[in-house]
Amino acid sequence: MAGHIDAIRDAVIGGKHGDIKAIVQEALNAGVDADAIINDALISAMDIVGKNFGSGKIFVPEMLVAAVTMKNGLDVVKPLLAGEESRSRGTVIMATVQGDLHDIGKNLVTMMLEGAGFKVIDLGVDLSVERLLDKVKEIKPDVLGLSALLTTTMPEMKKVVEELVNQGLRKDVKVMIGGAPVDRVFAEKIGADGFGANAAEAVELARRFSVK
Amino acid sequence: MKINSYNLVMSAMFGGRRGLRPPVGNPTSIACHGLMDRSGVSFPEAHLHSQAMAELAIAGHEILGFDTVMPEYSVVQEAAALGAQVDWGGRDKMPDVKGFPNGDFSDISVPADFLEKPSCRVVLDAISTIRRHVGGRAAIIGKVMGPWTMSYHMAGTQNFLLAVGMGEKEKVGRMLRQLVPVTIAFINAQFSAGADIVVLADHATRNLVGPYHYEEYLLPIHQEITAQAGGPLILHVCGNCSDRLELFAQSGVDCYHFEWQVDSKEAVRRVGDRISLVGNINNPQALLQGTPEDVYKQARYAIEAGVNIIGPECAIPLSTPVENLRAIVEAAEEGYPVSKEGTVQP
Repeated sequence: MAGHIDAIRDAVIGGKHGDIKAIVQEALNAGVDADAIINDALISAMDIVGKNFGSGKIFVPEMLVAAVTMKNGLDVVKPLLAGEESRSRGTVIMATVQGDLHDIGKNLVTMMLEGAGFKVIDLGVDLSVERLLDKVKEIKPDVLGLSALLTTTMPEMKKVVEELVNQGLRKDVKVMIGGAPVDRVFAEKIGADGFGANAAEAVELARRFSVK
Repeated sequence: MKINSYNLVMSAMFGGRRGLRPPVGNPTSIACHGLMDRSGVSFPEAHLHSQAMAELAIAGHEILGFDTVMPEYSVVQEAAALGAQVDWGGRDKMPDVKGFPNGDFSDISVPADFLEKPSCRVVLDAISTIRRHVGGRAAIIGKVMGPWTMSYHMAGTQNFLLAVGMGEKEKVGRMLRQLVPVTIAFINAQFSAGADIVVLADHATRNLVGPYHYEEYLLPIHQEITAQAGGPLILHVCGNCSDRLELFAQSGVDCYHFEWQVDSKEAVRRVGDRISLVGNINNPQALLQGTPEDVYKQARYAIEAGVNIIGPECAIPLSTPVENLRAIVEAAEEGYPVSKEGTVQP
């Protein structure tokens, strides 16, 4: 079994997006448990990929391919899982704030969170405060992740936090922020719960915030 | 050397003779609400009408005291001319590409009249207007996107980078090669229109790609572009590019525009003998949220490190206080550091 797990993990780390489905199927055929494939191989691989990205060994192109590879592998296993909802580590809403169309960082975080076992609702880009609050009320996520790449759109993050307070929702959701112009000092200043300098840190925050 | 803005900048571009103070320059936009209010010109008109574009740019020199005039505020002029759908934004929002015409990596059709498309023509006419106004007295800087940045705009950034990650070299290389002539043509047109320097902005930034990506895909292209450029170039690549400074120094450009995350002293030590450096005042923390004193300290650090031209690290946030931009100029007006013996330090 260890050989199959290693092969899947190595395929994700190596971005073998074309081979992963066959490798996962081979593992299933050999009797490897679906849970082990997800947790010990796919999620474990994305943790390593995230660390490599955070330390500058790989960059966005490799991250994207690893995420695609992981997703391809997950597609083989998912139909075999029962009660998928109960398996989720938590629910995260991800969005780029109003006035901002940049989404690579957010998309990477979304992929990594899904790989890590979170249920992620990606609302896309240019989300108004009103729409975000509506979705928070509707979905009741554990974590709200906000992304901004522009200094002109950073202030939107503060507005979201303020409106969560105004509507009595602040204590029910953790807010994490990220994006090139944003930093820890800004996160503290606006009352966010955390700042992720990269996708790997964002996943760590989500894990910490979702511990029940 | 006669001391005027033009001479200070041009000499600094080639690591030449210095005046009493370092030049202050902006390879990227210093348009902000304060400058818009003082000049009477705002966005989006400054992206779309040459006179407005020129007036806002000249305000950076005449009102703030920068030694350069750079009229191209957005990064989407070329993409618009190539058929991308562009939202030209407004007073609070820079333009952005909304649709990616070559998301399927289909061949990019470069129109024969590319330079006459409105988004290119406006820049060329603005440069000519600026030339008539300040030519020879302030350094006029044009700006052109390189093939990597244009690929982001034509194929979509994530889509393009996924192709890079998947090792689809033929597909990626073909798109880049189709865009090289666009960059070269626009650079030379801007020199012909009256630019003294042109910025080659190509966002192979550390936030997105590695030095090995730059070396494999883009360095040969930049060497080709610089060989065919009709004047001096500044390379602008955002992010903490400490890991690729030596590669930039091989590209053939005369100057590199760098960010605060790259230590000035380190940059000067490593490549200062081969290319000039312009930068690197921090945008979000210092220029936008900081005080004039914060900006002054960063400017003096860069001056004392030996950075050739002092300026913001990238296009500034639109709500940057004007007094923070003035603080860069005031820091430069103090001149070069003086040693204990009273001599100006090299």
